Amino acid sequence: MKRAAEGYADAESSSKRSRRAGDQDEYVDVDDTESPPDTGYVPRGATINLGALSRKLAAARRNADEQPSDSTLDAHRRQQDKLVSHIFMDQDFSWLHLKPDHASRPLWISPDDGHIILEAFSPIAEQAQDFLVAISEPVSRPAFIHEYKLTPYSLYAAVSVGLQTEDIIEVLNRLSKVPVPESIIALIRERTLSYGKVKLVLKHNKYFIESSHPETLQFLLKDKLIREARVVSQVADKSIKGNTFTTSKAPVKGDLVNPGVKEAEKKKDDTKAAAPGQPASDADLFTSVVGVDSDDIDDEDDNVHSFEIDDSKIDDVKKRCTELEYPMLEEYDFRNDTINPNLDIDLKPATVIRPYQETSLSKMFGNGRARSGIIVLPCGAGKTLVGITAACTIKKSCLILCTSSVSVMQWKSQFMQWSNVTDRQIAVFTADQKEKFAGESGIVISTYSMVANTHNRSHESKKMMEFLTSREWGFILLDEVHVVPAAMFRRVVTTIKAHSKLGLTATLVREDDKISDLNYMIGPKLYEANWMDLAAKGHIANVQCAEVWCPMTPEFYREYLREQSRKRMLLYCMNPKKFQACQFLIKYHEDRGDKIIVFSDNVFALEAYAKKLGKLYIHGGTGQVERMRILQNFQHNPAVNTIFLSKVGDTSIDLPEATCLIQISSHFGSRRQEAQRLGRILRAKRRNDEGFNAFFYSLVSKDTQEMFYSTKRQQFLIDQGYSFKVITHLDGLEKLPDLVYRTRDEQIELISSVLLANESDADLGNDIRAGEGDLAGTVTSKDFGLPVKVAAAQRTTGSLTALSGGQHMSYMEQNKSANKKLAREANTTRNKLFAKRDRDLASARKEARARG
Amino acid sequence: MKAIRGVLLTCDSAVKQILLTINEREGNSFIIEDLDDHHLVIKADEEYRVRKELEAELEKNTYSLEG
Repeated sequence: MKRAAEGYADAESSSKRSRRAGDQDEYVDVDDTESPPDTGYVPRGATINLGALSRKLAAARRNADEQPSDSTLDAHRRQQDKLVSHIFMDQDFSWLHLKPDHASRPLWISPDDGHIILEAFSPIAEQAQDFLVAISEPVSRPAFIHEYKLTPYSLYAAVSVGLQTEDIIEVLNRLSKVPVPESIIALIRERTLSYGKVKLVLKHNKYFIESSHPETLQFLLKDKLIREARVVSQVADKSIKGNTFTTSKAPVKGDLVNPGVKEAEKKKDDTKAAAPGQPASDADLFTSVVGVDSDDIDDEDDNVHSFEIDDSKIDDVKKRCTELEYPMLEEYDFRNDTINPNLDIDLKPATVIRPYQETSLSKMFGNGRARSGIIVLPCGAGKTLVGITAACTIKKSCLILCTSSVSVMQWKSQFMQWSNVTDRQIAVFTADQKEKFAGESGIVISTYSMVANTHNRSHESKKMMEFLTSREWGFILLDEVHVVPAAMFRRVVTTIKAHSKLGLTATLVREDDKISDLNYMIGPKLYEANWMDLAAKGHIANVQCAEVWCPMTPEFYREYLREQSRKRMLLYCMNPKKFQACQFLIKYHEDRGDKIIVFSDNVFALEAYAKKLGKLYIHGGTGQVERMRILQNFQHNPAVNTIFLSKVGDTSIDLPEATCLIQISSHFGSRRQEAQRLGRILRAKRRNDEGFNAFFYSLVSKDTQEMFYSTKRQQFLIDQGYSFKVITHLDGLEKLPDLVYRTRDEQIELISSVLLANESDADLGNDIRAGEGDLAGTVTSKDFGLPVKVAAAQRTTGSLTALSGGQHMSYMEQNKSANKKLAREANTTRNKLFAKRDRDLASARKEARARG
Repeated sequence: MKAIRGVLLTCDSAVKQILLTINEREGNSFIIEDLDDHHLVIKADEEYRVRKELEAELEKNTYSLEG
């Protein structure tokens, strides 16, 4: 049989050979040496394709011979194109010819979908990146090749920071290896033509629609709805030109300087940017388009035209404009706002903001007005400071919304720390505290749900809400914008009257992909930081990511395959090999002097691991006192280097000491959680030490669903340029003394305990209950909501002799929690001196009572 | 007794467990002998089908961007 097949193949190839030989002699040697494979499922197609290829080659030859072209290079190129183009099918872009000096140009644009591929290793990649971040959205930014995408929203954002259509096309063309495809030019023109040409401005508490293009306003006024909403004022008619709209000077950046930036430096930059007249060299043109200080390019037309809109119809007009494809930019001319009282706050003189924070803010305040939009910075890169600086720049009443009552308090303390705001000017509105600021302007910090809640309000909250809705806010700051449900958002945005909005987030990803909603509710993405860049400059820690594959033991895998319910998860979390890997990594990193946090979403696994390995742990059921004690020990006690945290540690517990992070169980494929957890070590205190690396391990049980989730979770970080190393074997694991679950008997004991566990034990994050006013899924560290479990009374029958130990029965507790030991130590460490004082005090009191 | 044509499979312990489970689900249809942690003897004419099924089972735990 086999022989026959071989013979057949031989025959085939020989016949092919003869045919090919007939065609063109020199191509005979293409694959003669390759012996035909021996079985049936051979890539038969491959041989045929090869035949086709050589035929095509021959044909191309003939064609080339028939029509002699001007240069051999051209002919050669055309021929090559024809040869390979059919392989790429729809993605055949061989008709896009490279420019002669393409090697020095860093990017390539796909004519189909607007994806831009950038060579990040190119010498001018940094400038190119600045430009691309402004006009497109980063898709993926690993070390060498970056991918960006041109979207309508990104172009909208580009226009909103002051870039002009022709400049965008010009710079793209300069950077591109191929001429910018017509389809892309058309896209850019189409989008930028309408976007950002119309602005909605609140001036003297009246809404104006403003544009530097009169024809656009004419067009809008032809619409019935907008015409009716227009307020015709007397002032407008006095205009000399008899124009239909008022004409005024366009705003210039002037002397607005972000606090925290050295003024002199800024001035110097300004003069450099404002040097017109002279023919711009390549470099000048480049910086003038890309540079931060050039945001006022669009002021070449000094006149802006505007008409007034009725306040009550503003929502309808906004919607209508979007339908007409003229979405309005919202800007706030806060320096000329004389109606709303100023809030006298400033950054403390000692506060210095970092360059990227300054860049992000300059995108917001580019032309001296406040634009609405979203700023994306990694966890630990100082989002809060950006928000505070923005508030200090606008200097008007400010409302801050966050996700939980804990972050409310954090924001408040940050405000007190970085700015000179007084206690009277800052108020908190949560379920427990309902304050109003003293004076006519101030800051209110609250949660989304407190503001968006529509039913069952207490009298106090109702009054507070009236206070919030009745007044006008200069600035509304939205923290963690990516987690807020769209409906809740809309309610917040419509009930609160604010001149400008700023959204802050670290991970602009949603598992439900509702990101685009944010675009029209808040505004475009103004700035997105490059994680790798910040790490390279030392603003966040360098992190080594690794995925550790732990094989399942046969017993566990057997049960895993049999189990269909949620307990499967418990089985792969409790895999003894994972225990061992965890123990090994803890040991390894403790010896290096790292402080380690171990994360587990599953509380059952968390306790089992911590008890087995004799480490401290915190989960929702841990009491306040115990928790504080554990955290203090972790921070200051050199003997305590590892703690286990459940979901409570994802966001709210801030531990800058930690330098190593191990995940043993996580919330399925949540990319956001992965990024948040990484954020726990990004602000590591020691990040500026030379050669310092933080470590991020995910322990994954092989051949289980965990592999699937793990890969999915990593996608966001991979797009930010992190790479995950896969570790299949930990060297030296077997030799570790006192390795847990070394024998099969111990492993089998473990599996029986897992199988006995309740199904509810497999739930994730069941130890946390949100407080009133917190968003679902966010965590408060002050009070996890669960009372500490008190063991219920147990009743058993037994003889009195046995229970009192008469039958030589004794009890011993195994697998003790390390937390308890800590508590006992804490009780005994009271110094004798204080103990004596306490005793004296108690006796004195007793005496006094006895006398009285 | 009629002789059965068999194939010796060498696999890691996880794959062995998957095969055992498939075998059990189908009512002992293909495994002739369970030798040790890493070796199984299965019926020769079932080999191709078993390979396919194993492939499908393993594929479930793989994440791809498109999927």
